[in-house]
Amino acid sequence: MAREFPRLPEELPTSAVRYVGKEVRRVEDPALVSGSAPFIDNLQLPGMLHCAILRSPHAHARVLKVDASAAEALEGVVAVLTPDDVKRWANAHVTSPPGWGTHCIAIDKVIYVGEPVAAVAATSRHVAEDAIELIDVDYEVLPAVASAPAAIAPDAPVLFEEHGTNVIQKRVYTWGEVDRVFREADHVVTASFRWNRCGANPTETFGCVCQWDLTDNSLVCHGSYQVPGFWGLARSFSLNLPANKVKVVSHPMGGGFGGKGGARGTDIAALLSRKAGGLPVKYIEDRMECLLAGGSQSWDRRYEASLALKADGTITGFDVKLLDDQGATTETYGTISVAKPLAAFTGNYRIEAARYDTTLVVTNRAPVAPYRGYGPPPHFLVLENLVDMAARKLALDPADIRRRNYIRPEQFPYTIPSGNEYDSGDYEAVLDKVLKLADYAALRKEQAAARAEGRLVGISVVNTVEPGVFDWNAYATVGVQGVGVPEGARVSFDVLGNITIVVGFNLQGQGQFTVAAQVAADYFGVDITSVKVTTAATDATPPHFGQGGSRVGVAITGAVLGACQKLEADFKRVVGHIMGGLPPDAIELMDGRLRVKANPAMGMTVAEVAGTMLGRSDLLPPGMEPNPTATSVWTAPGRNMPDEEGRCRSYLTAATATHVVMVEVDRGTGHTSILKYFIVDDCGTRLNPASVEGQLQGAVAQGVGAALLEEYVYDDGANPLVTTFVDYLMPSIHEVPITRRDHIVTPSPVTPLGAKGCGEGAMHTTPAAITCAINDALAPLGIEMTETPATAQRVWMRLKEVGAAR
Amino acid sequence: MKAASFDYHAPPTVESAIALLQRFEGEGLDTKLLAGGQSLMPMLNMRIARPQVLVDLGKIEALDYIRAEGEAIAIGSMASKRAAEDSPLLREQQPLFHAATLLIGHRQIRNRGTVGGSFAHADPAAEYPAVALVQDIRMRAQGPNGVREIAASDFFVTFMTTSLEATEILVEVRLPPFRPGTGWAIQEFAKRHGDLALAGIAVTLRKANGRCEDVRIGAFGVNATAVRLPAAEAALNGQSATTENFARAAAVAGESVAEPLGDVHATPDYRRQLVKVLTERCLAEAAARAA
Repeated sequence: MAREFPRLPEELPTSAVRYVGKEVRRVEDPALVSGSAPFIDNLQLPGMLHCAILRSPHAHARVLKVDASAAEALEGVVAVLTPDDVKRWANAHVTSPPGWGTHCIAIDKVIYVGEPVAAVAATSRHVAEDAIELIDVDYEVLPAVASAPAAIAPDAPVLFEEHGTNVIQKRVYTWGEVDRVFREADHVVTASFRWNRCGANPTETFGCVCQWDLTDNSLVCHGSYQVPGFWGLARSFSLNLPANKVKVVSHPMGGGFGGKGGARGTDIAALLSRKAGGLPVKYIEDRMECLLAGGSQSWDRRYEASLALKADGTITGFDVKLLDDQGATTETYGTISVAKPLAAFTGNYRIEAARYDTTLVVTNRAPVAPYRGYGPPPHFLVLENLVDMAARKLALDPADIRRRNYIRPEQFPYTIPSGNEYDSGDYEAVLDKVLKLADYAALRKEQAAARAEGRLVGISVVNTVEPGVFDWNAYATVGVQGVGVPEGARVSFDVLGNITIVVGFNLQGQGQFTVAAQVAADYFGVDITSVKVTTAATDATPPHFGQGGSRVGVAITGAVLGACQKLEADFKRVVGHIMGGLPPDAIELMDGRLRVKANPAMGMTVAEVAGTMLGRSDLLPPGMEPNPTATSVWTAPGRNMPDEEGRCRSYLTAATATHVVMVEVDRGTGHTSILKYFIVDDCGTRLNPASVEGQLQGAVAQGVGAALLEEYVYDDGANPLVTTFVDYLMPSIHEVPITRRDHIVTPSPVTPLGAKGCGEGAMHTTPAAITCAINDALAPLGIEMTETPATAQRVWMRLKEVGAAR
Repeated sequence: MKAASFDYHAPPTVESAIALLQRFEGEGLDTKLLAGGQSLMPMLNMRIARPQVLVDLGKIEALDYIRAEGEAIAIGSMASKRAAEDSPLLREQQPLFHAATLLIGHRQIRNRGTVGGSFAHADPAAEYPAVALVQDIRMRAQGPNGVREIAASDFFVTFMTTSLEATEILVEVRLPPFRPGTGWAIQEFAKRHGDLALAGIAVTLRKANGRCEDVRIGAFGVNATAVRLPAAEAALNGQSATTENFARAAAVAGESVAEPLGDVHATPDYRRQLVKVLTERCLAEAAARAA
């Protein structure tokens, strides 16, 4: 039975909303700012050992021999994990599509630099690192596949010999009459794009402490796990354990951003614990491991794409060909990022037909992992640059060409060609507001004056749609099965009326514990300080997933509201009974009191009701349990199985934003300076506005990195050339603009309280917005930058080609 | 990322430190001096540097000073870059050295990094060596046989290598007086604020009757050590201080750099371009400052 949720904060059972939608101080922050949050590296268990991992120096090689005898003899070493142990005890990692995973330690051959080949558990990390230097490995070096084009070359070396090819999946999706709209187009704009690898680098790298119980043959994994239940299930497959014998304890995380690579580290620490007789083993990925092979690399893509247009600028077709380098294996779920653009393939626009021709390959580079945005950031870079190229061709202003192609407010819910349904939006209102905020006309005047002086100043107006609240069905096309992503909460009152909410995920920075507390406090009219939000191990939580796909804010709101509604129903029964046998529907909840509708002066506070349930069983209705606790598990309503072209209702919400950016390119150095940055966004109800603003500004920072600085460079032998923060250049406060922002609110009609996912939107938009601004700056020269990052050197080389460098 | 094992000593005086260096030299041990650790500590942790012994100069308070000595300014090698940044003496009397200090890393790095450490580390992308070349800064090294002075042009040998002997410690850098009226500039290009420069230029020049003289141009980040660019200096010496002449000298600067470094961030060609652009900008800035 579908439950009716309050559609807006004003529909909560309170006469004055005090928390939802307000800039509430986050309940997470005291522990964070005081340094007392129990991050994984703070965990010390009795007898705990420390793990270090020996990694392959070769991109592709057979492992002929691993001799660990000298390491085993070193004082302080308790266990050494070798390929033989792993062959005996573990399975290759599960992947989608299946069959492209490897064991946690290479058992026959290594397929990327940094792949683990052996590991040590010792009394300290120092000793463990000394010991791995004593392990003797013989390799037979094989020719390496260094790039995606090399992977599909006719006589390319093959990584997975059982497949006989490096192609994981080749699939063409066709939605609508693509050939016809391109045939009938007045204009076709075509370009190639190269998105080089960048990725997630949280402040805290991955870490875990694993303990194998040899008596019970069960495993406990403490760690910085973003999605604890999911990781626990995956461990049961890779380590041959029943799923209910793997318990995952998620610790607060110093950021995640999708890439935190826990599978190998967890399996290695677990097997070392097993080999060490059940002593706990801690593995903390160091920064170089994280950069080399820790799930910090994403999106290694080559695009060829076209837009079909009518003479008036109406876009009729979008044709995308993608060659995607997944790196050496797909066990970190990088394949999913190729499927996600289906959820918002055509962005903010009415485009009648689209095609997506995808080729996913393995190479001897490090495996790619999820990163904030999960696929759309490169996709929207392509789409938005093509729209700008079309605007230049048709001599239209970039704001105008977008405006004339927008999905109109009255067209929602709107089904895009790739099948997803957008819930709501008003793109023109967002555009108008940001143009006003930026004083767009004045910006263009400023640009004209700069151009007259020979300066390269550019302005972009770029918008994207952010699919929020992911569903597994979005990834069916790359082999993931299922519909629905359960997210649960257990809400309990104690005898004095304090509320405890147990959720299945831990802190990562986004502030979702605060959202849960806001919702419960407003629902029951209590002070937010009397609500405690906590997490529990996987064997003590309701079904859950955790952070991912911009969903927890919406999902936890649904789960907490669901539990609150169940409690409200029980409370009404109790109060009705006490008030002389009134039926529950004669009672209502308002401002923290269960009161008699006909006589509101009569009633009890929620604390009194909970106290009665736990302390005065004699007053309860016959047969009622003394249990003011309710669990609710939410999943997005109305999701369905995809058809043969991958079309389905997948991501529940469609937020949007428009960025207006002004940049200047230095003709002498090629350096891009961001002069001005404006954002107007619409993510429906802003549950905690301060958190939304933080998500926006933070994702802009990552977008600046992707657009201008961050790149994992490999040489012709697939050897990584960027393995430290000296060379991997994340932007700092000096490079990131403090954006000027405003917003509008178009509530989602399909989520509790009208909120939409908002964790990734600025990452979808910023790289496109910056490159579009650079290309506007370069437009008088007739050149474009279609490769990320647009480093100073790349831009200078392009300027030099046309004789425009100074 | 844990350092390999090493023995650690933190002597209280220069003399005791030199005695330790002599002892370890005699024992054939690979010994490194620690003078702030902003470069050496990461190298230790990555096991790129694996000395058997580390002699920490951090306890030698006698090397922590910045003072006027006559017209010159003497900086003890263990003075922090932050102290140089905050020194009114340097700010007022040595504007180029002071400006170079502000380009080094970030304030957190300058808090711990030392002036002497930067000279002795001899990173090709460091700012101080180029300033030392254009300003004739002299290094004072102390060893078992006493103190000797080394000219900047003799001090920097190649990548991370100086002419200091294994038993010598850099105890002081000595800045000659900065002549009033001298124009100066230092600019560098890094992908991010505070990063090691892909290329940098330090310039001093004087003007007489509208013509440039005593033009000195130092480049860093482009070769194994900082270098002077004599051809570009000659191209401007005696010429009037005009935009065209700066551009001509800058073009010579770019062309005259011998075999610029190439790496993942900048090709040799791009470094040549940066030398040209930065030289042109520095000459204009310096000329504007010259009296």
